[in-house]
Amino acid sequence: MTYNRCIGTRYCANNCPYRVRRFNWFKYNENSEFDFNMNDDYGKMVLNPDVAVRSRGVMEKCSFCIQGTQQVILNAKKEGRKVAAGEFNNATACSSACATGALVFGDVNEEKDPIVALKEDKRAYRLLEAIGTDNNVVYQVKVRNTEEA
Amino acid sequence: MSNKVIHALYNDDDILMDAVKKVKAAHHHIDEVFTPFPVHGLDKALGLAPTKLAITAFLYGLTGLSFAIWMTNYMMIEDWPQDIGGKPNFSWVENMPAFVPIMFELTVFFAAHLMVITFYMRSRIWPFKEAENPDVRTTDDHFLMEISVHDNEKELTALLQETGAVEINVIDKH
Amino acid sequence: MSSHYEAPIREPLVLGDKSYHDITVDIAKPIEGKANKNWYIAFTISLIAFSWGIGCILYTIGTGIGVWGLNKNIGWAWDITNFVWWVGIGHAGTLISAVLLLFRQRWRMAINRSAEAMTIFAVFQAGLFPIIHMGRPWNAYWVLPIPNQFGSLWVNFNSPLLWDVFAISTYLSVSLVFWWTGLLPDFAMLRDRAIKPFQKKIYALLSFGWSGRAKDWQRFEEVSLVLAGLATPLVLSVHTIVSMDFATSINPGWHSTIFPPYFVAGAIFSGFAMVQTLLGVMRKVTNLENYITRLHVEYMNMVIMLTGGIVAVAYASEFFIAWYTGSPYENFTYMSVGAATGAYGWAFWSLILFNIAIPQLLWIKKIRVSFIGSFLISIAINIGMWFERFDIIAIVLSKGHLPSTWTRFEPTFVDVGVFIGTIGFFGVLFLLYARTFPVIAQAEVKSILKVSGENYKKLRDGSHE
Repeated sequence: MTYNRCIGTRYCANNCPYRVRRFNWFKYNENSEFDFNMNDDYGKMVLNPDVAVRSRGVMEKCSFCIQGTQQVILNAKKEGRKVAAGEFNNATACSSACATGALVFGDVNEEKDPIVALKEDKRAYRLLEAIGTDNNVVYQVKVRNTEEA
Repeated sequence: MSNKVIHALYNDDDILMDAVKKVKAAHHHIDEVFTPFPVHGLDKALGLAPTKLAITAFLYGLTGLSFAIWMTNYMMIEDWPQDIGGKPNFSWVENMPAFVPIMFELTVFFAAHLMVITFYMRSRIWPFKEAENPDVRTTDDHFLMEISVHDNEKELTALLQETGAVEINVIDKH
Repeated sequence: MSSHYEAPIREPLVLGDKSYHDITVDIAKPIEGKANKNWYIAFTISLIAFSWGIGCILYTIGTGIGVWGLNKNIGWAWDITNFVWWVGIGHAGTLISAVLLLFRQRWRMAINRSAEAMTIFAVFQAGLFPIIHMGRPWNAYWVLPIPNQFGSLWVNFNSPLLWDVFAISTYLSVSLVFWWTGLLPDFAMLRDRAIKPFQKKIYALLSFGWSGRAKDWQRFEEVSLVLAGLATPLVLSVHTIVSMDFATSINPGWHSTIFPPYFVAGAIFSGFAMVQTLLGVMRKVTNLENYITRLHVEYMNMVIMLTGGIVAVAYASEFFIAWYTGSPYENFTYMSVGAATGAYGWAFWSLILFNIAIPQLLWIKKIRVSFIGSFLISIAINIGMWFERFDIIAIVLSKGHLPSTWTRFEPTFVDVGVFIGTIGFFGVLFLLYARTFPVIAQAEVKSILKVSGENYKKLRDGSHE
């Protein structure tokens, strides 16, 4: 999603089978109508300085924390090495905050990344796989004990 | 040189057509005919050459089509190729089906507008242009035939009278 | 004269004992006379509705799209419904003036001017919606392929929304020059009749100095014919491309290959209904009953029956396919059992009633030639065609692939206000047009008077016997 090119026709949201897109219906920042204690200088400190403030009228969706993955890539570049397998797992806010490992993030093109095995696992499935969107979010079916204990 | 012209007014298109034929048969040159609506066959009776506007429209359409091809190729393929929805813009031919609507619309756009502009220029009609019909009745129900006089005023008047003109005026044209 | 022959069995298109001058007088009368009370009442109502619409549009632009009833699952509703509805209405004018010209249908001459005016005013309304429905309408010019300061970032020619930009702007501008070119001789007629100097000046300006030379007429007829040839595929392309907004998408119910022909038929259906509505009023108000006759009404009703039939078959096929695929998603599209029995059942059944059931009354000849009957049925079709677009957009979006995203659309007063406002704007434009423009292409009617005028036909047919 490139926020600054968006004119907000909402065509993408209408076509999203997962309806994951969110639209900025109003101007949410610096607006007293939406006071989440983020309109003053102290409140703003909770906002991530690496993430662009979206203006009114643009579409947005989860970007897999593009600022985080970029950080990982740049750090590796600075140190003159390749990105290590599994290094991306802490790049996204959700996966780095998840205490139980229910959410894992990684590079599917890196064979040694744990995400590859999880993706190939027989429990793995994708939502609405039949429509062929080839999406990047993979779920795993719940493990049930089908035999009497 | 005097610029005398005769204005013969008619009040019926059929009478006008017969009159035009008679005047032509008498070997007089009809300078102009003003009519309130298109009289079919008048251009042939007057010996006007067929208009070539349809041909220009065709050429303008080709221009529009070429412009559309150039524009889509330049903007999508050459200048800033993108990979949109897994369909990369590497070659124009492979992406052509998506450009068909643009090509069609621009063909029509160019053909229609440029043809109309050509028509306006050729017929000398545009905003703030003064009207040139010599009699206001020619946009209502009268048909006016204009013939230059070359020392044959009497002869012409008699001929026009005979063709059923309702009014004949001899006017000095400036 | 044999060149003016028309089969006696054909009913005359111009009634009464008319001469060329009578046509001039009849058509100039509404313009030269004073407006009556009804005109002022209608104009005031339209103006109020228009102002209300402007207020709602400004509120939307000032505050955000959130003032509409949309939500994250239903990203389009009344906005695009109204857009498609108005574009559809805008199809009759060019169809009448272009397609019927190519088919040499003389009855088009009494109605083409007003139908084209309606087209242009309707496309104005339609053009409004894609702009105001944007989240950031002040960036609307980004849809144009113009060199820019963003590192020469161009538009995406793969997008059906961009095709729309080209289709609508080409259609509007070509319709406008087609209309205006036809107006030139009629403006010249008004100019030459005008007594007040101001009126004369205005009509002299509008007529572009049209003089009516034989050569001008020759070119005029050629240009009309070629423009008709160009406008015919254009009419078909506009709604085809509008339908591609839906047909090229991936929503079940939108992704349908029959959309282009089906939308075009629907557009002509709704366009003729709107012509019928407007002319039903106009012929009375402007005393043009001798030019817009029962015959015109009947012919238009026949077009409505044909296109309405195509639309009905398209519905049936959509309904059948939705069931026949066996796909659970298809079972909740706008034409399906799911829609008929679901939360939007009322919208589904309104569509069936107004668009399919009521127009069938036109099979009865008595209703087909009746002015009141045609007027009422045309209103029903206008409503029905609005529901068609609403159903296609809102019902499909309300039931997406995932049941967790199922929701409903509730319009706010702003949604309603914007729609009412465009009707008001349309009314304002049309009422001003009816007072200042020659509402019938008098030059063309004069050219068929001897062919199809009642008095001439009587004279000729009498002498044959």
